[in-house]
Amino acid sequence: MTDSALTVLLVDDNEMIRDCVTAYLEDEGFTVYSYATAEEALELIAAINPSVCISDMRLPGMHGEEFILKAQINSPLTRYLLHTGMLYTLSDELRAIGMTDGDIFLKPLHDLSKLVQKITQIAAVRGGQ
Amino acid sequence: MVQKATETFFKSESRYRMLVENSCDIIFSLDFEGRFVYVSPAWKNILGHELSEVVGHNFREFVDPEDIPRCEDAFMAVIRSNAMQEMTYRVQHADGSWRRHTTRVNRHRDENGVKTIFGTTHDVTERFLFEELISRTEKMAMISGMAAGMAHEINNPLGAILQHAQNIERRVSADIPANVQAAAEVGVNLDLVRAYMQKRGILDFISHIRSAGMKASEIITNMLQFSRRSDAGAEYVNLSTFLDKVLELAGSDYDMKKKYGFRRIELQRLYAADLPPILLSVSGMEQVLLNILSNAAQALADGEPSQQPRIIVRTRLAKGMALIDIEDNGPGIDEQTRRRIFEPFFTTKKIGVGTGLGLSVAYEIVTKGHRGMIAVRSKPGKGSCFTIKLPLQETA
Ligand SMILES: Nc1ncnc2c1ncn2[C@@H]1O[C@H](COP(=O)(O)OP(=O)(O)OP(=O)(O)O)[C@@H](O)[C@H]1O
Ligand SMILES: [Mg+2]
Repeated sequence: MTDSALTVLLVDDNEMIRDCVTAYLEDEGFTVYSYATAEEALELIAAINPSVCISDMRLPGMHGEEFILKAQINSPLTRYLLHTGMLYTLSDELRAIGMTDGDIFLKPLHDLSKLVQKITQIAAVRGGQ
Repeated sequence: MVQKATETFFKSESRYRMLVENSCDIIFSLDFEGRFVYVSPAWKNILGHELSEVVGHNFREFVDPEDIPRCEDAFMAVIRSNAMQEMTYRVQHADGSWRRHTTRVNRHRDENGVKTIFGTTHDVTERFLFEELISRTEKMAMISGMAAGMAHEINNPLGAILQHAQNIERRVSADIPANVQAAAEVGVNLDLVRAYMQKRGILDFISHIRSAGMKASEIITNMLQFSRRSDAGAEYVNLSTFLDKVLELAGSDYDMKKKYGFRRIELQRLYAADLPPILLSVSGMEQVLLNILSNAAQALADGEPSQQPRIIVRTRLAKGMALIDIEDNGPGIDEQTRRRIFEPFFTTKKIGVGTGLGLSVAYEIVTKGHRGMIAVRSKPGKGSCFTIKLPLQETA
């Protein structure tokens, strides 16, 4: 991966949302990999090594929280964000891997530029490291 | 043995009298005009009048006019058929408050053929209020459950609509290099494509989809509050400082300023000096107060133009709770509206002006999020007063 600072991995079982967020992020110049299930994403995340991984909460099969905890082992440098339709309070486990309330994005996001701001911010921090 | 005792007991009439006069329920007799011939002393305990203010007076002087026909029907029935009748009605206490009574009446004919109505009356006000509270609480729980469920279902498709509209807007913009490149690949000029879309109103249509979607999303976000259990992120705040901040927020809100003339309204702050820090969710309580303030401002905007519109924000301590009053001198709220005011989607405003969610959200946040209470008092024509009661915590 030449420009891994701008790679985003997206997990959402809703095709419309997947397409939409992918289109938006691609327009911003990010490389986006999107998957409908946590299982698929988990298999590939180590190879992709994205800067940012955005996951839905309610997924068929593996739940978003479990996914992030496992993915974090495979790809520890990735920053994880939640994009969820449910009001949600971060579990202690997710806090333990460094997630904060600012990493939760509630659906529907009227304006995807908020997500972009966050990613850019993360990328900037990583680039500076 | 028992029978013997009973016989001796009732030998004198005074024993009967003692029973009647010490009864906790009111025992009375009425003539056929509806005038009290006798009332037992329990009347004074329950309704506060001297017995002399009652005897010789008509029952119609005490009963709520709305309930008089019901009582008359019961009396007519008992006179006609001699079958025991029961009715519940509102009756006014000497202090002006209203009580709810259940009365059973019978008819009696003495040896001279003179007929009187006899009754016993039981005060059911507390039980009635309790049952009303329970059924209101259940109703609220049911409606809010439904609202939250619907909100969850609509949320995702709505998100997709909004985001797709946003993508369409962006994909016809010349600012994104990928667009310019794709246009070149298929051999069109992006500026011309935009000009066409502009000319045919397509760009406006898309922006209308966005703004209508945003409006729907605001409603959904409010409805989602109903499934919120408790409010995380509560903190101790100084209520006076907090209220000042909320009033400032209200003053800078566009709708409040432009549509309801919030600046025109005289604000009176009557803050108690002795309030301890109060534990609350800042964003939650901000929303509660803004919803109430915007209602007040709306009510004042529709009100009597001749009088100076005023909102009083008052804090006080009572019975281990911190109270916040928000009082306006607007048109007030009639009884029928008051009963349903905290229900989701209950509104008296025109479609597009009010969705009827403001106070139901406030109710949820105060009762579920803060274990508090919210109530309203109003004198139609004089104004309304909303009171929020928040429990005091021992500071750790
Ligand atoms: N201060 C007030 N004075 C008079 N009437 C009021 C006042 N506050 C609320 N009401 C009445 O209560 C109703 C319900 O209020 P609520 O805030 O829940 O909904 P709304 O204001 O109609 O709509 P929304 O808040 O969703 O825009 C209002 O339509 C209005 O009739
Ligand atoms: Mg309102």
